[in-house]
Amino acid sequence: MEKYILTICLGLTFLSCTSILDIEPTDRFTEETFFKTKEHAEAAVNATYASLLGNSLLSGSNAIFFEDATPNAYTYQNNNGFDYIATGIQDAANSSVINNCWGQCYAGIGRANTLLSKIESIPVTSISDALKKRFIAESKFLRAVFYTQLWALYGGVPLILDAPDFEKQANLPRNSADEILSQIIKDLDEAAVELPTSYAVVDKGRATKGAAYAMKARALLWAGKWTEAATAAKSVIDMKAYTLFPDSRGTFFFENEGNSEVIFDLQYKFPEFVHSMDIILDAFNTVAPLADLVNDFYMANGKPIIDPTSGYDAKNPYVNRDLRFYASINYPGAKYKGATVSPTTYPRTGYGQKKYTIYKDNEVPAAIKADNQSELNYIFLRYADILLMYAEAQNEAVGPDQSVYDALKLIRLRAKMPEFMPGLTKEQMRQEIRHERRIELAGEGMYYFDIRRWRTAEVVMNADIFNYLGVKFGTRKFNKDRDYLWPIPTIALQTNSALVQNPGYGK
Amino acid sequence: MKKNDPKQRHRRCPALRKMLKIMKLTTLLFFIALFQVSAKSYSQETKLSLKFENETLENVFSKIEANSEFSIFYKNDLIKNSKEVTGEFKDVLIINILDEVLKSENLTYNIKDKLIMIVPKDINKINISDQQQKSVSGKVTDQTGASVPGASVVIKGTTTGVITDNNGNYSLTNIPANAILQFSFVGMKMQEVKVGTQTSVNVSLTEESIGLEEVVAIGYGVQKRVNLTGSIATVDKKNLENRPITNSTMALQGATGVYVNQTSGRPGADAGTIRIRGIGTMSDANPLVLVDGIEYDLRDVNPSDIESISILKDAASSAIYGNRAANGVVLIKTKTGQKGSLKVDYNTYIGSQSIMQVPDNIVTNAVEYMEGKNRALTNEGKPIEYAQTLLDDYKAGVTAGTDPWKYANTNWMNVMFKNAPIQEHNLRFSGGSERTIFSASLGYLDQDGILLNTYAKKYSININLASEVTKSVKIGANLMSNYWINTESGYTTNDGNGEGGLMGLIYRGLPMQAPLAKDGTYADQWVRVPGHNFFRNPYALAYEGSHTNKSQRTLASVYIEFKLPFNILYKVTGSANLYFMNEKFANPVINLTNTSTGVISPMGNIPARGVIQRNFNNLNLTNFHTLNWSKGIGDNALSALLGFSIETFESSNFSAQNQGYLGNELTELSAGSTNPLVSGTSAKSSLMSYFGRVNYGYKSKYLFEGNFRYDGSSRFSKGNQWGLFPSVSVGWRINEEGFMKDIKQISNLKFRASWGQLGNQMIALFSYVDAVSIGQNYNFNNTVVSGAAITSVSDPKISWETTTMTNIGLDGGLFNNSLTFGIDVFNNLTTGILRQIQIPAQVGNLGGPFKNIGSVSNKGFEISGQYSNRIGQVKYNLGGNLMRVKNNVENLNGQIYYTGNRITKEGDPIDSFFGLEAIGIFKSVEEVASSPVQNSITRPGDLKFKDLDGNKIIDNNDRKVIGSVIPSYTYGFNLGVEYKNFELTAFFQGVSGLNTIYTGNLSKPYNNGAGVTRNWLTDSWTPENPDAKLPILTTGSGNPFNFQTSSFWVSNASYLRMKNIQLSYNFPVNLIKHVGLNSLKIYANALNYLTFSKFKLTDPERLLTKDGVDYPNAKTLTLGVNLSF
Repeated sequence: MEKYILTICLGLTFLSCTSILDIEPTDRFTEETFFKTKEHAEAAVNATYASLLGNSLLSGSNAIFFEDATPNAYTYQNNNGFDYIATGIQDAANSSVINNCWGQCYAGIGRANTLLSKIESIPVTSISDALKKRFIAESKFLRAVFYTQLWALYGGVPLILDAPDFEKQANLPRNSADEILSQIIKDLDEAAVELPTSYAVVDKGRATKGAAYAMKARALLWAGKWTEAATAAKSVIDMKAYTLFPDSRGTFFFENEGNSEVIFDLQYKFPEFVHSMDIILDAFNTVAPLADLVNDFYMANGKPIIDPTSGYDAKNPYVNRDLRFYASINYPGAKYKGATVSPTTYPRTGYGQKKYTIYKDNEVPAAIKADNQSELNYIFLRYADILLMYAEAQNEAVGPDQSVYDALKLIRLRAKMPEFMPGLTKEQMRQEIRHERRIELAGEGMYYFDIRRWRTAEVVMNADIFNYLGVKFGTRKFNKDRDYLWPIPTIALQTNSALVQNPGYGK
Repeated sequence: MKKNDPKQRHRRCPALRKMLKIMKLTTLLFFIALFQVSAKSYSQETKLSLKFENETLENVFSKIEANSEFSIFYKNDLIKNSKEVTGEFKDVLIINILDEVLKSENLTYNIKDKLIMIVPKDINKINISDQQQKSVSGKVTDQTGASVPGASVVIKGTTTGVITDNNGNYSLTNIPANAILQFSFVGMKMQEVKVGTQTSVNVSLTEESIGLEEVVAIGYGVQKRVNLTGSIATVDKKNLENRPITNSTMALQGATGVYVNQTSGRPGADAGTIRIRGIGTMSDANPLVLVDGIEYDLRDVNPSDIESISILKDAASSAIYGNRAANGVVLIKTKTGQKGSLKVDYNTYIGSQSIMQVPDNIVTNAVEYMEGKNRALTNEGKPIEYAQTLLDDYKAGVTAGTDPWKYANTNWMNVMFKNAPIQEHNLRFSGGSERTIFSASLGYLDQDGILLNTYAKKYSININLASEVTKSVKIGANLMSNYWINTESGYTTNDGNGEGGLMGLIYRGLPMQAPLAKDGTYADQWVRVPGHNFFRNPYALAYEGSHTNKSQRTLASVYIEFKLPFNILYKVTGSANLYFMNEKFANPVINLTNTSTGVISPMGNIPARGVIQRNFNNLNLTNFHTLNWSKGIGDNALSALLGFSIETFESSNFSAQNQGYLGNELTELSAGSTNPLVSGTSAKSSLMSYFGRVNYGYKSKYLFEGNFRYDGSSRFSKGNQWGLFPSVSVGWRINEEGFMKDIKQISNLKFRASWGQLGNQMIALFSYVDAVSIGQNYNFNNTVVSGAAITSVSDPKISWETTTMTNIGLDGGLFNNSLTFGIDVFNNLTTGILRQIQIPAQVGNLGGPFKNIGSVSNKGFEISGQYSNRIGQVKYNLGGNLMRVKNNVENLNGQIYYTGNRITKEGDPIDSFFGLEAIGIFKSVEEVASSPVQNSITRPGDLKFKDLDGNKIIDNNDRKVIGSVIPSYTYGFNLGVEYKNFELTAFFQGVSGLNTIYTGNLSKPYNNGAGVTRNWLTDSWTPENPDAKLPILTTGSGNPFNFQTSSFWVSNASYLRMKNIQLSYNFPVNLIKHVGLNSLKIYANALNYLTFSKFKLTDPERLLTKDGVDYPNAKTLTLGVNLSF
């Protein structure tokens, strides 16, 4: 018996030890097994879109936090470091958005680059030429979006166009801002050729030809290349694919996602893809509109409140204002969520931002959204912006011609504001367009980029801030020699010594 | 006459079996002596069947030993001329056998239960002829005063002597004038007494203090402590006994060279992290834990089932575990049965736990809080938040006292923590027949947590069986299983949700917030606090919703041992370690009542009502084979071990969640209706190993040991999977040398030296492949689409970390081993440290590869000592140990690695805190102006930092190492006092030279709407108080520069803790034996009752790198009973 047991024991051993150490992962692809099929390519493109939602890039909450670093709004909590930026005390390490935005843009760039360099290896039997071209175009569009963000915030950055390769790319220095811009325009031009004007329902939300033109217009506008910017914006208008949604507030309602005004939006869906805009804007009040913005809304008659003939009543300041005021801002006395807003509802400034919350004025909401329960898409490019881009670029390039008036007219009409008086000088028109941009795009995070490219930040950001009672509660600082660019993040400098810091910043 | 020479015994029998036997004997005799148990006669019950054919007495005795539990002691001289024996016995009592085999010899015997002494027949005869000689008599007792029967009393230099009778009495006649009597007994120290003129000599024997005969578990075997050449710490069972430790990881606390940090006291989740001789890795630094030879989770061992713990600290002792041994190895041996009648042990205690340390200086006065906040805001140039009218109203409300719900002054620490009961029961049956031994135990632990509505219950079972199936086959099986269930708030205490979970919320609780409203419903706040917009009422969260964790772990193992020819022992072990865990979060909707307006609204900003359920499965299969061989040739003792093992590790998890519940009551996944989510994955890894050991001893003086392990691991790519881990060690028992024989004071002295290499393979699976992660999804038009992307890069060339350990040690015993000591000096150099390196974000923002990046050393020494003695009836012992370890990053190829506010760079310890050096507080505008530029808003009252690079600008280039998370000293000491049946023991443990930076709530004033500690209101800088300890009062976000990482915020996390103090009483056997008990002990125990530390905000025994607070540890007072029958 003992011999039998012994034999069995020994036998068991050698039975079990064949190639026991060779184990393949079952929860991921490897580079050898990936990029073989159409599905793989599509997943790679989708993953590039996913980077748009990444931490502190354009993710819903972060996009609107940009308001906090402008005269439009204030954050009590220094969300993502924006109050440090607002008060000019940001450095290379203390502001999380400055670090995260850098990384997240490069995450998107890396994913786009991966697709662009690998898609050719997929056999033609698996992917049609048309689809391949579309994926390439989508990737180039997205790469341009990410580079635009970097270029606008940091200036020149390392220009990387190949799939991530640690050995080759880790020590690349910064390219010039112009080189980045050229690549952005090149990518968008190439993308525009191949991208469709629209998609079937299942793909709605992918980059379109219109989105590529619009993004090109934005980049050129930010670069001050007026003629080209006007042309790019005009291409969007000429597509006749977009119209303004009839009502300003409704543009941002959940049920109107993807409406006729939307050119490109970042798509959210509860519970998988979420942000926190509802709680941030309403309960946290960490994008608290400032009196400066509120006072900048004209009266419904088109006159600024400081105009003695405007009919503005300081005792009753919130009547007869631009409709967009009521669509964008909650103020003491406003109707919101089926109740009346009191001065303590929004304890920071007395004001709350309504735009980008899903709550209605006259309905008590069935549920209040907590952190990470909001799913409203963030509209990255919308037609109203295109019209304003065109007006601005055309005015700068040519002057206030009729096409400028025509573009602005559409926006003014929707807001039920009177048209601009004919015969404005170029300078007068410039001021009106800048004002119109601030009002129309209030609460969308665009004003931060505008005051920087207009070089007005050094004026408007060296100022005190006031609440709804006109009480000063803070002072902002802006160093014109430094703050028009963000610092290269400490971590980027630590890991790549070839990077040179922007002027005025320490390590 | 004396006990047979252990050296000879060692040669005569298979070493292993013998050692075990000796260990058992020692223990047995000790208990006999201690408890005066009248020997329940094994010898009167056991019947043997034996056959002898022309065999020497030596062989006869060996056979008796081999076929019974008896141990036979004799002096070799006595039997060297004996006649050969032939005879056959069937079911015969031992005395009959002995009578028969000794009948023709001038020998007789003395039986004490399982102990047989062979003595000359004439020893009791009195030689009356020599009238010149005198006689002497007396009594031999043990240190408790109990008589010692069977002790030998011999006239030195002769074979003349007697054995004490049942009452410990002896009498000797005809002794020479200058006679010296030697008193000895197995397990006791021999004593010599000069008779002189005395006619009565009473002697009290003490047990051999540290059992040099003690057997210590080593890798794949056991070794006598005296023959160890490696550095092995053992945990004194005595230290462990009756301590109400709820997690076996705590059993290691206090062992020499071991640092156990219990970071969380949550019932069921209170495992400590174990670090042995510093930290030599940046990956998993946990030691390998083996229970009865199988890798197992220490958390899941019932402390009461632990027989012994060995901690293998150097290469000599742990190289046999190869690529998992670099962090040290912990061997746990569980209790087994013993031959003989059934023994039942029942141990139980009940106790009360309370919170050990809470911040004692939180401002709990609401008005004071609000006024302070106003001051902070004013300092920042901001408008105040609390109007004078509100403050006046609040003051009046508090004074009136009619509505304490609205005008609350809540101390949240008092609300949320309570005294919590704990009880534990352990029942063990053990025993055995001639061929089979067994032990079966049941354990039950019922522990309430000190935080409201947290508790754990643990059920455990452990069954050990071993049977000698035939003369050459032994089969054993072990089943160990436990089931834990623990529950806490759905908001969880330790992590997860906003503000660091429930503990974060408690540390965030404000005096104006009340737990309950007047009508007994949960309260909402009415004073609005910016940054604290939602009152996530911790009291409500503790009771509503739940996080339940049910885990079951089972270790089942079977072994078969064959005695093969040439004295080779072949053992095959197969085992399965199965883990199943089910975790469920039930997130509730909670309605809160505003204590001012009475408005009821749901608690805001908590997870949506729903259920998340996660299942985890692990299966670890082990199969190993060993061949053991030993032989003695003259003065040479040789033994060898050869082994082969295969281990596979499989894990899988599954997670699902659902929302859309109709209420908080139903918490099944199926009870929800909306937003379902599901995920799950699995992984597998394996190890294949060959290992071996050779031991050689010469005259038990010179010891040599060599080990190797050849390990293959699936964690690395082909070609990098196999590694060889060797070790060699030597020992020199100096006291065995002739020249030491005369130095009576030195009873033991051994020099040890070892060198070897070990590995650490614990990095994430598949770190060597460039993986394309799935789940990088997006959605188009509210339909989810799949995404996949490379999220990290890899280095296919990576391999395990190699730690080269060198250890030199000296063990000694003085004054008959009443003072023992050990000194070890070690140098552990880990090369090829594995770390995920950070690569520049511009490379696709990818997670960097795991690479073998450099080397780290841990150099240090350990000292330990024990002293025991007695003063009259009082016996006492003192002991202590100290480890010093210096951790140093030796080489990173010039790289620097940052993790949050910590840094790993050459020349400093791993993961050191890194920040600015604070050099005071600015006192004036002039001082600010004349100092290096900090930032545009620096002003008097702000912290002043040192400009280390001298460029007149304070920035990140001025950072330096400002603290370490690795203790430089770990120490412990114990003391014990025994008087009659009373015993008092105490055990202290401490660490020093380590730091923490706590940045959570209360670390800064008014941190995002959190509370404030009093020192900020009384001792922060103002123009009137320029010498204050703290900088100017601002809110936590009001001054980013003061609150950035700097030496100002580094706390000293050293502490000294009285882990345990215990008073016990052993009932005398004669009192309890007539109720059928063998032993009865009652005790009172206090755990964690005293702590000395400078760190006050939380328990200093914390996760030093954690920003927030974990569930606090408890101090526990228990009363317990141990009884056996």
